[in-house]
Amino acid sequence: MKENLLKFLKIDRRWIFLALAMILFVPIIKPIGLPNKTISKDVQNAFNYLDKVPAGSFVLFSLDYDPSTRPELHPQAVAALRYAFKKNLRVGIVTYIAGSTGLIQQLIEKVPAEAGKVNGTDYVVYPYMANAVAAMTQMASDFYGIYDKDIDGRDARSLPVMKGVRNYKDIPLIVNITGTSILDFWVAYVGDKYNVPVVGGVTAISQPGYGPYLQTGQLKGLIGGMKGAAEFESLVKEPGKGTSGIDALNLAHLMVLLLILTSNIILLVVRYL
Amino acid sequence: MKIIKNYLPLAMVMVMGLLMLGSYYVPHKLSVDYVEQMNKWENIVFAFAFLLGLLSLFVSHYGKIRRRQDGWGYSIFVFVGFLIMVVPSLISGGKQMVDGQVTGLGWSFRYVYNALSATMFAVLAFYIVSTAYRSFRIKSAQAFVLFVAAFILILGKVPLGQMAWESVLGWTGYGIDRVIEWIMSVPAVAGKRGIMIGIAIGAIVTSLKIIFGIERQYMGKD
Amino acid sequence: MTETTWLIAGAWVSAGLTIFLFSFLYKDNPFFKIAEHLYLGAGMGWWFQVYLYNIWKPKVFEPLAGGDFFVLIPALLGLSLVTQFVPKISWISRYGFTFMMGYGAGLEIPARLSTDFMSQIAGTIKPFSLMASMSGFDILNALIVAAGTICVLFYFFFSVEHKGSVKKISNIGIYFLMIYFGAAFGNTVMARFSLLYGRFDDLNTSAAASNFYATQIILAAMAAYFLLHSFLGKKEQAEEAR
Repeated sequence: MKENLLKFLKIDRRWIFLALAMILFVPIIKPIGLPNKTISKDVQNAFNYLDKVPAGSFVLFSLDYDPSTRPELHPQAVAALRYAFKKNLRVGIVTYIAGSTGLIQQLIEKVPAEAGKVNGTDYVVYPYMANAVAAMTQMASDFYGIYDKDIDGRDARSLPVMKGVRNYKDIPLIVNITGTSILDFWVAYVGDKYNVPVVGGVTAISQPGYGPYLQTGQLKGLIGGMKGAAEFESLVKEPGKGTSGIDALNLAHLMVLLLILTSNIILLVVRYL
Repeated sequence: MKIIKNYLPLAMVMVMGLLMLGSYYVPHKLSVDYVEQMNKWENIVFAFAFLLGLLSLFVSHYGKIRRRQDGWGYSIFVFVGFLIMVVPSLISGGKQMVDGQVTGLGWSFRYVYNALSATMFAVLAFYIVSTAYRSFRIKSAQAFVLFVAAFILILGKVPLGQMAWESVLGWTGYGIDRVIEWIMSVPAVAGKRGIMIGIAIGAIVTSLKIIFGIERQYMGKD
Repeated sequence: MTETTWLIAGAWVSAGLTIFLFSFLYKDNPFFKIAEHLYLGAGMGWWFQVYLYNIWKPKVFEPLAGGDFFVLIPALLGLSLVTQFVPKISWISRYGFTFMMGYGAGLEIPARLSTDFMSQIAGTIKPFSLMASMSGFDILNALIVAAGTICVLFYFFFSVEHKGSVKKISNIGIYFLMIYFGAAFGNTVMARFSLLYGRFDDLNTSAAASNFYATQIILAAMAAYFLLHSFLGKKEQAEEAR
């Protein structure tokens, strides 16, 4: 008995791999139908901040995630951008992660067209910049000192979308979606220093780390991981990959808990048997 | 020579650092102009730092190929991968889409780089599960507290877990989402804030050491 | 090639590379190694062309061609970094590094001081000034945050002499850290699964009939490879034994 239990504890881990693969793949083919229902305070706040920006304002989106965190962050970016367009906000997109330029391209191929938005008039995409802090500090005095041209090489100052925008005083909200610490930079170098509201979208891994900034109001709202994406999607009433993702994760989450409990119970039984 | 090799760089870091630091508190036009110039320069200098990574990867794999080291054939694929991205980019001038058509570069990103990069990190999901099974041991009170927090978070993030909580603890009137919210906004904030203040003090001290030339490891050996 | 052909080719390439990388979970194999090395190269290649077309060309070459020789200063500072690879003149790279270090350190001090230090202390104290309008539960929470933060700081800063009451306080600090780490672990599980879901979702797309069942065929081929490999491996072993 004891030996069998211990053997079970040392099971070839490839069986666990296989179980996880099955438990995650099957709901993709055949959805369980248990989508996310709750909305957390931080996501609601993020939504509210975007919601109350007056139509026609220029909102800066800093999209800093690459394929390695795409499943969590791309749905957030899609949902937030869709809502910004729905609210008729002008959108500027910047990035400080080289890998995100490809994802931004995929984003703007799809989302603006759905809302009938025009490049240069309603939105603009700026080239990648190597040093986030340098670009952020620069935008405080003169936006065009660092972003003189957009990705298509057009003169940024003369684009209709940039009308009346010179520095942070003309930007009522910054939305930063990132899998890196760039959100910390936005909070420290821009939000705190120039009093610009910053809303974040981050991976579930880094989400708990932003608790202190949220409590102090240094960060106005936070979308965390795929759950956050699903919540935001339901707030803007556009179910997407976040919503279907949460549905697929249901069983896998229970599996982890079951595994941790099983192994610990086995150890207890072995010790006291 | 020592002046050029040592003193001048150290003087530079001190002047740069003190001026950047001072400009934070002095909102004069001169300091703004200075900071603007430095921002533009820093962005360019920083971009060249990328070459360090690129060259060290190339040097190491070129060396493997030249010495016919074990598995040198794989090293060729480093260069193949590099060219798969760079050649289409040179053809389309860095554009991923031209006249509504996805270019070779756009294609390479979507189907090569995206698949490789995303899968590299997705593999970790398997390891976290097997680690959870094999090494998550609740042996002490501290480990138990960690487990309880993790348990609630894992359970409450998915609808199925929320339903399970409702059926067992629904009578308390507290949904698991509210418990999670409390954990994240009260005890977890305390834990993280302690870490944050600690790191901030450490970072400030390190920065001061760098500015005053006490910390100079980044300069390498003489 | 038409657009559809490109899409189908994409589905095959993406499914193939994904499965090659996953195959490591079963066993190390040449297909995994090829994909792994491709990843290193492709990542560098992507970054290289981003830097080329977003920074080096518009921010260095074009201004230079237009007669703005000021950009030579940061360009040379940047290029100086590369001397790292030549031991004899590697000291030149110090100029590039000191520039970046000075810039970063000078900016970091005030930002950290205000954002991560003073604002955090203020954020811990501030709730108590609003006590009159707070519910009992909120007051309790504010007390927990304040006490917890102090305990954690005790744990960090008096790490040398953990004795008596200091030890008790820093022990409580550990519990707060454990709750934070537990929450972080719980969230990490969700994050990792989300990434895996993303890959599986892509594989599912490649598995469609319109993509000629790329996923299924490549998966079957991989399985056949492993079967054949283990079969041949056993035969070899048997021959060696003879």
